[in-house]
Amino acid sequence: MSMFAVENTPALIAGLSIALLGAPLSVFVVLKRLAFIGQGVSHAAFGGVGVSMVLGVAGASMASNLLQLGIVLVFSVGAALTISALGRSQKGRIDTAIGIVLSASMALGFVLFTIAESRHDHDEHGHAHGAHADEHHVIEEVLFGNILDASWASVWVTLIGTLLILTTLWWYRHSIIFWCFDEHVCSTYGVRSNRMGNLLLVLLSVAVVLSMQVVGVILAAAVLVLPGAAALHLSSRLRPVTLWAIGIGLVGTLVGFAIGTSTHWPIGPSIVLVHAGVYLMALTTNMSMRRLRSA
Amino acid sequence: MTNTPQQPGAPAVEIDGVSFSYPPSGVGEPAVEALRDISMRVEQQTRLGILGPNGGGKSTLIQLVLGVLDPDRGQVRVFGMSPAKARRAGLVGYLPQRIAADIDWPLSVEQVIALPLRTHLKPWQSLRAEERDAIDRAMELLEISDLRARRIGALSGGQLQRVMIARAISTSPRLLVLDEPMLGVDIAGQQRFSALIDTISTELNLTTIVVTHDMRALVAVADRVACLSRTLHFHDTPDGLTPAVLAQVFAHDIEPILGAVHIDAHAAEDCDDPAHQHTHSHDCDHGQHRGGGS
Repeated sequence: MSMFAVENTPALIAGLSIALLGAPLSVFVVLKRLAFIGQGVSHAAFGGVGVSMVLGVAGASMASNLLQLGIVLVFSVGAALTISALGRSQKGRIDTAIGIVLSASMALGFVLFTIAESRHDHDEHGHAHGAHADEHHVIEEVLFGNILDASWASVWVTLIGTLLILTTLWWYRHSIIFWCFDEHVCSTYGVRSNRMGNLLLVLLSVAVVLSMQVVGVILAAAVLVLPGAAALHLSSRLRPVTLWAIGIGLVGTLVGFAIGTSTHWPIGPSIVLVHAGVYLMALTTNMSMRRLRSA
Repeated sequence: MTNTPQQPGAPAVEIDGVSFSYPPSGVGEPAVEALRDISMRVEQQTRLGILGPNGGGKSTLIQLVLGVLDPDRGQVRVFGMSPAKARRAGLVGYLPQRIAADIDWPLSVEQVIALPLRTHLKPWQSLRAEERDAIDRAMELLEISDLRARRIGALSGGQLQRVMIARAISTSPRLLVLDEPMLGVDIAGQQRFSALIDTISTELNLTTIVVTHDMRALVAVADRVACLSRTLHFHDTPDGLTPAVLAQVFAHDIEPILGAVHIDAHAAEDCDDPAHQHTHSHDCDHGQHRGGGS
């Protein structure tokens, strides 16, 4: 199957849109050490999916898709802000806060999935085995993504979300950079420190929820880390680093997509593996250059 | 950033009956009183040194002047306005005690110095010519023009501190606040640093507040001194700093080493002498007659 086949068009557009949105954000995620928060948020999203399953809003229609996305979004943003508040109240022990929110959300997600499943069993006697298989398939999709099922509706949501996130990031770039660089002093110069921190977390949460559609909960945080992490090995200036990250994100997604569609490997994990490969190449290049310079 | 005319003799900072306590750090813990009933006035274009022991409330007072903290009681005015307003107007430059900036960021020296100015731009605007000139001038004054393209993480400690001072004066402030700028600097370094502060303050007509617990550093930089150990003990020219005053201010630090502090009558008179004090608040009794011997 060609990656450019007509039926793959929505998936390809959604994937590239996610790459475009994730790349600049990944630079901030890596430099501000938010990667683990990203993990926390993406796992919290799993809890959000569980809530939507129990509420019975998961379905094929555009309305239920949007409603589910909305619930997951609220859940993820709530988780991000909870992590931030818990981290502050525990004097910066942000890893503990992430651990708490991450495990509680995953546990909640699984419990809610089971409740939704048993309801389903109850409603459809005699089809219990089929229902089980369906639920496991849904869980797998939520965890690892199924981009090939992307509808035009979800493509539009992704494109609009990408535009909103990139515009917000561009609008507040100076204050966000100042906050990331010198959190303790920026408020002296009129940057509202807590507001900038929360803004970045909200942007990260929205990006995670949008990425989830492509690569799933488990890997969503990866596309928000790997392009920036690789790019930082290739330049020491912010603008080139951001451009490198965008390039790596787009090319990595295209190559991962091509590998996935031609080999029937799952697309999401293929994209993440290509990104990881690029990261290794960038790391090796950087180390070799350093060795050459010091020789 | 501001065109407000300079008025030597007019107050840059007015602190009136200010008290501040930090909230309890945990359940069952008491609130921690940092400052009690502080009143003083810093005239424009003077250089005030704030001297005091660790934990004496120096940094708290600075946070109040910067408007980062609000007093529990009393009032702080900076150029006749609230500290937050003065700060937003770019009237205040600040060098923190510990540079906690993340120097792994892929930013050049020039980009770091420009950060305060850029955060006030509309998203689509670039720096104006006069703002670029202010950045150039700041780098010239700090003698770091040749480092402008250098990555911020590739600087020495001394160079980094100069960059942070350049950042503090990039907004063309009228008040420069330096919190323990000479911590860990050797004597030769302190002299160079004092000369630098002198040049900056003179060239830019700045009011300067330097916080320190180091006497040498203080005398080198300041033409006015405030001694702070929760209450204000002294506020005058450095000449008036007598052993009695210093013993009061640092009593808490000295006692565990030398025992309780005794101050003779003459010294106590020094402290009470109105000629030596144009301060608005004193606490000369504080810590003078403590029992016990060494």
